[in-house]
Amino acid sequence: MIYAVGYNDEISAGPFDLNTNAGKQALFIGLSFVTIIVCLLIDSNFWQTFGLLVFGITILLLIGVLIFGVTVKGANSWYRIAGFTIQPSEFAKFGTAVAISGFLSRYNTSMDDIRSVLIAMGMFLLPMFLILLQPDAGSALVFTGFLIVLFRAGLNPMLYIIGISAIVLLILGFIINPLFIVLGLLIIINLIFLTSVQKKLQWGLLLLGATVFAVFLAFVDNVLPALGIQALLVFVSGFTAFQNRKSQLVAQLAGFLVFGALIAFSANYFFNDVMKPHQQDRLNVWLQPSKCDPKGALYNVIQSKISIGSGGLRGKGFLQGTLTKLNYVPEQDTDFIFCTIGEEQGFIGVFGIILLYLILLLRIVSIAERQREVFSRNFAYCVASVLFVHIFINIGMTMGLMPIIGIPLPFISSGGSSILGFSLMIGVLLKLDSVRMNRARR
Amino acid sequence: MDIRNEVLSRVYITFFVLCGFSLFIFARAVNISVFEGDKWSAKGDSLYLKYIPVQAERGNIIADSGELLASALPFFEIRFDPNSTGMKAIHFEREVDSLAYCLANYVDNSRNHFEWLEYLKYHRKKGTRNILIKKEASLSEKNEIQKFPLFSRGQYKGGLILDRKSKRQRPFSMLAHRTIGYVRENAQPVGLEGYFDKELAGSEGMRLVQRVGRDYIPVSDLDEIESVAGKDIKTTLNVNFQDIAQSELIKGLKKHDADFGCAVVMEVQTGAIKAIANVKNSESGFWENYNYAVGTAVEQGSTFKLASIMSLLEDKKIELEDLINIENGETAFFEERMVDASMACKDIDTTTIRRAFELSSNVGIAKLVQHYYGTNNKAGEFVERLKKMGLGEKTGITILGEAQPYLKEAYSKKDNWSGISLPWMSIGYESTMTPLQMLTFYNGVANGGKMMKPYLVDQVEEFGETVRKFKPEVLLPKMASSKTIQLVQDLLLGVVENGTAKKLKSNRVQFAGKTGTAQTNYSKIDRSSKLKYRASFAGYFPADNPKYSVIVMVENPKVFGFYGSQVAGPIFKGIAEGIFESEMDLHVALNEKGIPRRVNSKMKGKHVGNKEDFKEIFKNLNIPYRDNIAENKWVQLQPRRDSLNLYPKIFSEELVPNVVGMGLKDALHLLESRGLKVKTSGVGKVRLQSIKSGTAAKGQSIWLTLK
Repeated sequence: MIYAVGYNDEISAGPFDLNTNAGKQALFIGLSFVTIIVCLLIDSNFWQTFGLLVFGITILLLIGVLIFGVTVKGANSWYRIAGFTIQPSEFAKFGTAVAISGFLSRYNTSMDDIRSVLIAMGMFLLPMFLILLQPDAGSALVFTGFLIVLFRAGLNPMLYIIGISAIVLLILGFIINPLFIVLGLLIIINLIFLTSVQKKLQWGLLLLGATVFAVFLAFVDNVLPALGIQALLVFVSGFTAFQNRKSQLVAQLAGFLVFGALIAFSANYFFNDVMKPHQQDRLNVWLQPSKCDPKGALYNVIQSKISIGSGGLRGKGFLQGTLTKLNYVPEQDTDFIFCTIGEEQGFIGVFGIILLYLILLLRIVSIAERQREVFSRNFAYCVASVLFVHIFINIGMTMGLMPIIGIPLPFISSGGSSILGFSLMIGVLLKLDSVRMNRARR
Repeated sequence: MDIRNEVLSRVYITFFVLCGFSLFIFARAVNISVFEGDKWSAKGDSLYLKYIPVQAERGNIIADSGELLASALPFFEIRFDPNSTGMKAIHFEREVDSLAYCLANYVDNSRNHFEWLEYLKYHRKKGTRNILIKKEASLSEKNEIQKFPLFSRGQYKGGLILDRKSKRQRPFSMLAHRTIGYVRENAQPVGLEGYFDKELAGSEGMRLVQRVGRDYIPVSDLDEIESVAGKDIKTTLNVNFQDIAQSELIKGLKKHDADFGCAVVMEVQTGAIKAIANVKNSESGFWENYNYAVGTAVEQGSTFKLASIMSLLEDKKIELEDLINIENGETAFFEERMVDASMACKDIDTTTIRRAFELSSNVGIAKLVQHYYGTNNKAGEFVERLKKMGLGEKTGITILGEAQPYLKEAYSKKDNWSGISLPWMSIGYESTMTPLQMLTFYNGVANGGKMMKPYLVDQVEEFGETVRKFKPEVLLPKMASSKTIQLVQDLLLGVVENGTAKKLKSNRVQFAGKTGTAQTNYSKIDRSSKLKYRASFAGYFPADNPKYSVIVMVENPKVFGFYGSQVAGPIFKGIAEGIFESEMDLHVALNEKGIPRRVNSKMKGKHVGNKEDFKEIFKNLNIPYRDNIAENKWVQLQPRRDSLNLYPKIFSEELVPNVVGMGLKDALHLLESRGLKVKTSGVGKVRLQSIKSGTAAKGQSIWLTLK
């Protein structure tokens, strides 16, 4: 039911497509119903049993597309069959989902076991890698959603903290002078020492004063002296800690410092010296839009914001969006379809769509949690995760929250493979849920 | 931490992440559409859409009988958007070939069919949004182009962009050019275009355009705010009169090699300006570049004497038959010499005032005025009298740039009043007025003392309906007593019959008027420089029942004389004769004297023809006739004393009829219906027929001689 509501918007969203596009889309909508019905008819054990086979086929398709596929807009991502183009990466998401769910539901799989973790990771990193070769960064990014599944399956949260920290450092490294980052790291380390080792007041005051002074120096562009002061303090603190037999902490913090600095410097170097200007632009649009040319790199985002913003509360009305109608927004039937909704249906439409997606996601998660079978639960989480990444990145990018990455909005954007892939997931999920009482807990 | 708690916390974290991100996105959406909504909307509109004014079609200026004097000629700039949003690829591909063919053959053959095809395809591929098809297409061309394949689908689907513009067109070119005037950017508006700009201009519309590349193209076929076309101005100008006035004026300027001149024709009863010609003689030819008639106030010279003599008569100072010593055409006022221009005055010592006026004696008029007003410090009375007769005021004509006339106040220091001001003023110096103002004065005299306000615009029209009507206005109901008017009308006729304009007397139309010859550089001390003159003639015709008044002024004639009678007079005469001959109303119709009796009807021969045709003709011509016969198609006419009788004429079906006296149409009908082959020569009625009537008709050829 939710699904149906979700894609009713298709009709209102893509009306400016040429007839052929809209027609094709209608055909695929019909096909996706068929898919769901077929999924409901297939035995619920089928996917768990043949998960790896399905996965294998999708991997083969992904390899095949690199050789036999046609190139559209610079990415070698499509098979052309009888006038229709099919994008195997959309089905790879499903294949990966059943395979990972299957793997995680095996009784000898444990997230505490490093081998299991590596296999599970490999299962989504492999298709991700193949898709990056096309290259289609958007679709590849979707596979990181499986990390959510692994988290639910019990992967160590520390890994996530480290990973997120690394990503934050990486992103900061793109845009901030790495020396500042190192300074920041030193300050954090000092604070940790202060709370765990040096508890004397005078030390605390000295440290605090020195830190404030260092920050001041850094602000007036004297980064190196500030760094020197902080490094000295860290050294003194570290030495004291070492004497207090806290060598493990010292070692951990030293590692933190070294890796952090390494990431910051390499990110900076990578951004400034390895990336091409257009790649830099893409990140700049996201991270520091004020540095971008509004008629160049920033164009898409501005267009997109303009169309969403100009919709007002109730929108300009169905088929009345001037900006989208006049093709000011790029890719408005696929990646930027959210703008059309924003302009024509206004804030009410935007709010409605976000709400519907949220309900859909929460509904899937709640379905997941009521499953008795691990496979079913993990598969539901896979579906939720994939949808989540799609929705968040797509809507986020139209509003300048996310970098612009080509990725469709589930059930709304035009694209047959996408809607079929999602229908497949929903169909299987519904089937699994419908039989949850009948299947014995393993 | 037990397993259950750990799982729960993981689930909650997942929930939290989902909700958190959703909230994040939602907050952003709120920010964009609610808090920054206006900003983004405005930005969207201003960046890509804007309103541009759409010029309204300017109203026409039309002549009294509907001819267009100035008209907005619409034309279209036609462009093509090969990547129009609504254009379907299949339509483009299917129709571009025929479109290219049409463009190559009917619009622009600088590219052939295939070059056009390549051109269109190239721009379609390149993403061009704007190709010029035709810069200035007329309405009919536009209508044709609109029917071309693909274009016929309109703007959205066919990419046809039409931009309506208009040019000011003057079908009569120079005719009344300055009076019609113009409104241009960075220039003072001129003439009727300037004065009635508000009416003519209409109101601008607005059109929403979007930016495509560097250009803006209209968003839809329709303007957002329709422009309202300007109203039409129907003038009193008559194209025919205007043409006569202008060509006569040019003829005169050419002959006398004058600098410039003007001629104005006014309808006596209403004050309607029927023609106003201003011509400058420049090296590049004759052209209207200034409205002298309205805009230049100058010393009018002897035509002003009419005002002086009227003043004397009205103040009952003189009788026309009183005698006056004109001193052989030379006298002096306070040692300032005054000489008569007319040679006739040289031989005259004492004569009647009437004669002095007819000969335009400066001395005579000046002495009279000086005697009756100057000697007892009553100059103020004279000036007052002039003002009472309507002089010294603007006419208020509805056109920009009427000059202020100048009449000296008596004994005023500011106006440099001197002892000789009065006598010189009486003969048309020391005061200035425009030719139009002088004409208004003469027109008043012609109109029996009722001074009409000159006007140029009859009505403002919208879609042929009158919106605002300008009625004739009376400036002064009575300039002077009827007796005075009667006397001066008589005097003006005398000028033409016996006076300075005697040679101009026309045997076609009797006119009355006054010559004027003003010296324009008298103030120059340098005696060696050649004297310059301004020749003028003001008057009206027909003298007994004035219909039109005319003034002609010619500045600085250089050859073949310089007098008003030599230079301006003939132009006046030409205009008067031309107008008189072209105006049916001015002629007494021949049939106004009753129907001629038909006893002596000179109708030759006996007209034979169709009865109904004859009856129709008689009815239309109001000729009484008597129809004695009941049913017969063919009749012969018989003149009677007071009517025409119709007698039956019967033709046999088998025999050749007698068609003599018939028109060819009837004869042909009769002969051919009897199987004869007819050959004719000449025109007119049938005089002879080669086969005698009564011969059996059996398909012979018959010759008819028409005459």
